[in-house]
Amino acid sequence: MVRKSRGAVKAFKWTYLALVLAFLYVPIAVMIALSFNASVSRAEWTGFTFDWYAKLFESDAILAALEVTIEVALAATAVSTVLGTLGAIGMHAMKKGWASLLLNLSYLPMTTPDIVTGVSLMLMFIFMKIPLGKGTMLMAHIAFDTPYVLFAVMPRLKQMNPNLYEAALDLGCHPLKALYKVILPEILPGVVTGALLAFTMSLDDFVISYFTSSTDQNLSMVVYSAARRGVEPTMYALSTLMFLVILALLLIVNRRSSLEKM
Amino acid sequence: MVQDTRLIELKGISKSFDDTQVLHSIDLYIRKCEFITLLGPSGCGKTTLLRIIGGFETPDEGQVLFEGADMANVPPYRRRINTVFQKYALFSHLNVFDNIAFGLNLKTPEALGVKTRRQKREEIARRVGRMLKLVKMEGYEKRSIDQLSGGQQQRIAIARALVNEPEVLLLDEPLGALDLKLRKEMQVELKAMQQQLGITFIYVTHDQEEALTMSDTVVVLNGGRIQQIGEPKRIYDEPKNAFVADFIGESNILSGIMREDCLVEMLGVEFQCVDEGFAKDEPVDVVVRPEDVMIVGEDVGMLTGTVESVIFKGVHYEMMVNTGAMRWKVHSTTMQPAGSRVGMSIVPFNIHIMRKEA
Repeated sequence: MVRKSRGAVKAFKWTYLALVLAFLYVPIAVMIALSFNASVSRAEWTGFTFDWYAKLFESDAILAALEVTIEVALAATAVSTVLGTLGAIGMHAMKKGWASLLLNLSYLPMTTPDIVTGVSLMLMFIFMKIPLGKGTMLMAHIAFDTPYVLFAVMPRLKQMNPNLYEAALDLGCHPLKALYKVILPEILPGVVTGALLAFTMSLDDFVISYFTSSTDQNLSMVVYSAARRGVEPTMYALSTLMFLVILALLLIVNRRSSLEKM
Repeated sequence: MVQDTRLIELKGISKSFDDTQVLHSIDLYIRKCEFITLLGPSGCGKTTLLRIIGGFETPDEGQVLFEGADMANVPPYRRRINTVFQKYALFSHLNVFDNIAFGLNLKTPEALGVKTRRQKREEIARRVGRMLKLVKMEGYEKRSIDQLSGGQQQRIAIARALVNEPEVLLLDEPLGALDLKLRKEMQVELKAMQQQLGITFIYVTHDQEEALTMSDTVVVLNGGRIQQIGEPKRIYDEPKNAFVADFIGESNILSGIMREDCLVEMLGVEFQCVDEGFAKDEPVDVVVRPEDVMIVGEDVGMLTGTVESVIFKGVHYEMMVNTGAMRWKVHSTTMQPAGSRVGMSIVPFNIHIMRKEA
């Protein structure tokens, strides 16, 4: 009797886990499978092909969007990494009360829904009469990327021996020199993690980009507008590629953070 | 060794953090080539005082003079002072060689007495090599900091500071993290280095034995005020007040009344002593070191009591003797079993009288 119920619990446990994983991954798996399907129809499998991937690189719209995406992601990463790192160093040196207030203020944008951030940024750009395009998209990306860098760098600063900066001064460094000769190398792992996170967030953003740019589209926006017209298999291929790139980036970030904890 | 010139002078230094005042109008001078130790319990202000000398804190009031010049507007990187920090603060992204060479690399070739960049590199290598020899770490150039033990990191931190040939070396509890044996060895080595190089050392510690072993001068601090300044032996033999007596070494401290010059009454018994200049019947604090209490026969003792406990301490036994009015700590090489009745006597020279603190 006891053994039977234990077996039932075990079966339930595994079924439950399988269902959760299926919900999460089957749709993506189906999409990846369809991206290799020779048929345009979703209903039949007519053979394996790379054609849809090849077609991606023939489409001007997609290539243009790829360029926008990478340009914005790289620029936003560069700027937000500098801002986030300097911001973290500044807050770390502040009195506790002010620092925690500023930290909480920086944390808020990470929790507000993207749509709120997107709409409010759009309103601000319109109010300031800045035409919506690549430039405004970049500014928006810098705004939401910076807190990620900040929160990746902060723990490194907290772990750092507070005497390191003073030791650099003691040995003859000006404050600025001490910053890049000692502080920066010491917190570099956090800075790199932050930059990778920012790049990932920028690559896969849709909602905020959608509201803050009209003329220039990034890849997510292309997928979205294509989907409204009826999905082609090239979009499956594009989504698959984006999924894999972002998965790879997040795996790297995760691995870095777990290595640091050791 | 110690010269008469005053290298550093502190005048009326006060410092508060938030609402707590950690230093109260400190006056102190440090002579050239002196090994001076700031000694006191944690929170006494000794590290703050050291940080003010190093330029890492600004005093609220008072002046720091270096060879007579006010240091108020001189940042740490322009002071001819280097520091060995409490937790070493070595740069973990650099190897041993680059840690030691850090300060030299920042200097111009001319400052190192050479002309070209190449000569500078060679000169740095030579000086770093000499330092590694001094701290007995030859062959460790390429090691990373994480591969070193605490004691080795300590040596590298000392080398990194000394290689810049500072006028003054500040050391903030540098041996605190080492085990007892290593600490004792390093005490001897540090003292030898200081004498060999002829550099002024300002040393911060809470370990009274360390202070007495190494210093030319000990400054005892408590509650942000200087309690006593003097040579180790004087501080030990003639503590100025009950705090110093209690903090430096072990002691029996009791209240007494000065009946006349060289006669003090304590626990209702009159003792001969060697102190003069007190008012008649002035209440005083009396200090007797445990090793100065002699165990004698019960019938000939000035005081009698019962041995309550005996602990073997290696060189001597530590006994607690209860005389009814007070428990005395007594150090003796001969043991009296617990429970036995003993007499105790103290020679006048070993009774030390101090004025009561206001």
